[in-house]
Amino acid sequence: MNNKENHTKNRRIQKAFVYLFLIFGSLLSLFPFYWMFTMATRTNREINSFPPPFTPGADLVNNFKNVLANMDFFGSMANSLFVSTSITVGVLFLCSLAGYAFAKLEFKGKKTLFSVILITMMIPPQLGLIPQYYIMTQLEWINTFQAVIVPGLINAFGIFWMRQYIQDAVPDELIEAAKMDGCSTFRIYWNIVAPTVLPAFATLGIIVFMQAWNDFLWPLTVLREPSMHTLQVALRTLNDARQMDYGMIMSGTFWATVPLIVIFLMFNKLFIQSLSEGAVKS
Amino acid sequence: MNMSKLLKVFLVGLLSVLLMTACGGEDDTSTDDTSSDDTTTEDTSDDTTDEKEDVTLTFWEFGNTGYDVLIEEYMEANPHVTVELQNMDQNDLHDNLFTSLSAGSGAPDVTMVEVNQLERYRDAQDRFHNLKDYGADDVEGNFLDWVWKTGENADGSFMFGLPTDIGPTVMYYRTDVFEEAGLESSPEAVGEMIQTWEDFEAVAQEIYAETGKQMTDGAELIFNARRDQAPQHFFNTDDELIVEEHDYIRNAYDYTVSLIEQDLVGDIQLWTPEWFAGMGEGSYATLLGPAWMQGVIKDNAEPGVWSITTLPEGAGNWGGSYLTVPAESEHPEEAYAFVEWMTAPEQQLKSFLDYGLFPSAPAVYEDPEFLDYTDEFFGGIKTAQVFSEAAEAVVPVYKGKGYYTVNDVLQEAVSNVNAGADPDEEWNAAIEQAKSALARQ
Amino acid sequence: MEKSLKDKNKTARTAYLFISPFFLLYAVFGLFPMLFSFYLAFFKWNGLSEMTFVGMENFNFIFTDPIFYEAIKNTFIIGLLGTAPQIIVGILLAFALNSTLIKFRNTFRTMIFLPYVTSIVAVAIIFGVIFSNQEAGFINYILSFFDIEPINWNIQNWPVKITISIMVFWRWVGYNTIIFLAGMQSIPNALYEAAKIDGATVWQQIRLITIPMLKPTITFVVFTATIGALQLFTEPLVFLGRNLRQEGITMVAYLWKDAFVYNAFGSASAAAIVLFFIIIIFTGINLLLTNRIGRTKKVR
Repeated sequence: MNNKENHTKNRRIQKAFVYLFLIFGSLLSLFPFYWMFTMATRTNREINSFPPPFTPGADLVNNFKNVLANMDFFGSMANSLFVSTSITVGVLFLCSLAGYAFAKLEFKGKKTLFSVILITMMIPPQLGLIPQYYIMTQLEWINTFQAVIVPGLINAFGIFWMRQYIQDAVPDELIEAAKMDGCSTFRIYWNIVAPTVLPAFATLGIIVFMQAWNDFLWPLTVLREPSMHTLQVALRTLNDARQMDYGMIMSGTFWATVPLIVIFLMFNKLFIQSLSEGAVKS
Repeated sequence: MNMSKLLKVFLVGLLSVLLMTACGGEDDTSTDDTSSDDTTTEDTSDDTTDEKEDVTLTFWEFGNTGYDVLIEEYMEANPHVTVELQNMDQNDLHDNLFTSLSAGSGAPDVTMVEVNQLERYRDAQDRFHNLKDYGADDVEGNFLDWVWKTGENADGSFMFGLPTDIGPTVMYYRTDVFEEAGLESSPEAVGEMIQTWEDFEAVAQEIYAETGKQMTDGAELIFNARRDQAPQHFFNTDDELIVEEHDYIRNAYDYTVSLIEQDLVGDIQLWTPEWFAGMGEGSYATLLGPAWMQGVIKDNAEPGVWSITTLPEGAGNWGGSYLTVPAESEHPEEAYAFVEWMTAPEQQLKSFLDYGLFPSAPAVYEDPEFLDYTDEFFGGIKTAQVFSEAAEAVVPVYKGKGYYTVNDVLQEAVSNVNAGADPDEEWNAAIEQAKSALARQ
Repeated sequence: MEKSLKDKNKTARTAYLFISPFFLLYAVFGLFPMLFSFYLAFFKWNGLSEMTFVGMENFNFIFTDPIFYEAIKNTFIIGLLGTAPQIIVGILLAFALNSTLIKFRNTFRTMIFLPYVTSIVAVAIIFGVIFSNQEAGFINYILSFFDIEPINWNIQNWPVKITISIMVFWRWVGYNTIIFLAGMQSIPNALYEAAKIDGATVWQQIRLITIPMLKPTITFVVFTATIGALQLFTEPLVFLGRNLRQEGITMVAYLWKDAFVYNAFGSASAAAIVLFFIIIIFTGINLLLTNRIGRTKKVR
């Protein structure tokens, strides 16, 4: 009897501890986001006071009205949606194919080619801006969405991630069995591997979508016309020369983040669904 | 069978991704956005003939200029010209301009260039049209000579751009702090009281003794004010570093350091929340700043406590822009005509009255509307006149390509001293760092 | 069953097809910029005028520049302080989020991910206010209760590094957590059940089941985190401003400043080459280290 009591007590302590840990972490994570929201509801004057306000103010609608008056919020959001979705779908598809190849297929030079991919991750990208812009001018892709989307499909991280996951989560026996049934390589990928690694898709998907959504330097450089701007680029036009209206800027930034949270929740759902359907286990 | 089917599926997958991008792109004739001035039209012709063929000019600007209104006016008066205005964040504009000029493609027909950034392009005259080729010399008389000179190259043969606004520096001060220290607070009196930098230091000591408040909340602007009054800065016209050969900059530095050591200046950095808040609190006496600082002060302080008078021993300039025509532009004549109109005194007056952009055309200073311009916020004084007095007192000085490299390390040295470092060490370290950076350029 | 040669070739061809998009795209869009940024190391170029060949002069510049060494030092210190805790905390957080003891896992998961989503501009402002130099600044205020003088967070050496490290940790820990979380999904629950029946504590479960089974994910995270740490740039830039003082400048910030502030693309490229080799060496070391996890502890 004593043992069982102890056991339950232990579980309760463990539970409490874990909850505490998570709540603490959540509060720390939430705080700046909450503050961003607070700033979005305050006037610039209130924000600039020191110490700044911690509670929401009355200017939520007002600030957003200013945002709408100064930039094409919804138009650029649509652009962002299009660009980010294209990149995400493209990356998920291409990286999982490549990841599958590196994880499960045999071919000459596999190790070397994979090392090359890893090495491309180590090159600092900042200096590539001007030459990459130059390439775009030669292709006459300036001011087009493909200038942002196509380079965005190059994702060594994604290939590495997919390879790691597929290697670990998809048993060889399963693939062998499918081959014996006469499935082509692609069919194996499509019908067996992909469904098994849905958590990997969900995770990579959210990461890529977010990076694409928040990316501003490259889109700023190649998307020149205001009608082509993605959200982050358009948000920059809210910056005045030296006097920034932070209430307005934070309002724009906040509302620009809300779709991301929606997308995150969607991917999260996919993640959970894939778990309840049960991963293929030994 | 397998291979071809696989290949088909694969290619379809890859193509569909690429197609999505192709369909979404190629949008040079896309619909317009919220601002009615950003009409996106196709470039219908490439040569400008005397018969006024339709021309589209792209115009990059930053900040809150109100140029969209002026552009409407210009387009009405010149129906064959369409000006596409693109507003960007200041840093973004200059970064994009640099990238475009570097790669040789993508620059607009007309762009604002801030005066700091102009220095970067001194060696790159070939990337801009020489406005003198289009008649710039005719309007030289319209502008203050130091502003004009800055827009030219060193020997005066090349004009990068026509000046728009400037930022002459003055002394903003808190009347209530002066009164608290038992001093007179009208602009004339303060101007009388502080005619030299020694006076400035003496008044600072007095205010500190009487009220415990510092003269100003940050050292950067003091250094800038003294630097700007020097007839020579960091480079001579051959771009040789002369900062160690004359005393002006060292004096500016030493003066600033001395004030720091007497605790007469604070250590708050510009553009931080504390700095903004300080404007409203009346915790210090003066702010040495440019004309456009008015807007910032108004945003952060109550009316009636701030006033303005001239700096001791002259004035400086912080900010201002030029309208340039990059060499890529295929319509330089039209672009120049537009630029000349935009910077003409009539337009500058409008920009001043509506948006506070301080004009660089002295003709405006004689205009009755300008002369009578009073501001209740600053106690009902004729603010425009104070600024124009400062504007006319600025000395032209050669800055040079490496100007901001040297300036930034010196500013860093000043803030290090403010945080407790040894002034001589910091100065030497700064010069070393500057030389190292300049050697690589 | 032995694969016929024909089958093998077919598979190989398919494999090459599957990996070709990366290489094709990279050849068009990635190769030229990469070569360009390395080629420039031997030239002097300010972006606008002619490129002049200068041999090894750029390397000379950077190797005699004390700030270059500061940048390397900073990169390692901030990288370590900001990234290493993420891996540990990430695993713990993922374990907690995976645990069936807890309700509201989704809410927690969303919260933990928020920092990654929050705009970097907002983050910079907020950190600037919390870590303000003034006495009334949030952290300084708390420190005053312990009789500590107000600290100059964006000027003094260690305060700058600590603040940036905290910023990095805060921004990226959620990201790594969801990666670990995904990796944990392939650990069979049966193992945990068995361990619980045997009376294993949570800590033992983590040490003996989670970590060894998570090895591929850990390898992945350590690899990408190392690269991320060595390439830290955005956080120092937004915290310090374009001036990037030497107390907080990282290697990438150093080369960026050279290129885009000083317009010295040659020395920037030289720094990029040096950084590249540093990254290769350290990711290699880290890979070797992570390979040791779970070697003798395979629980299958």
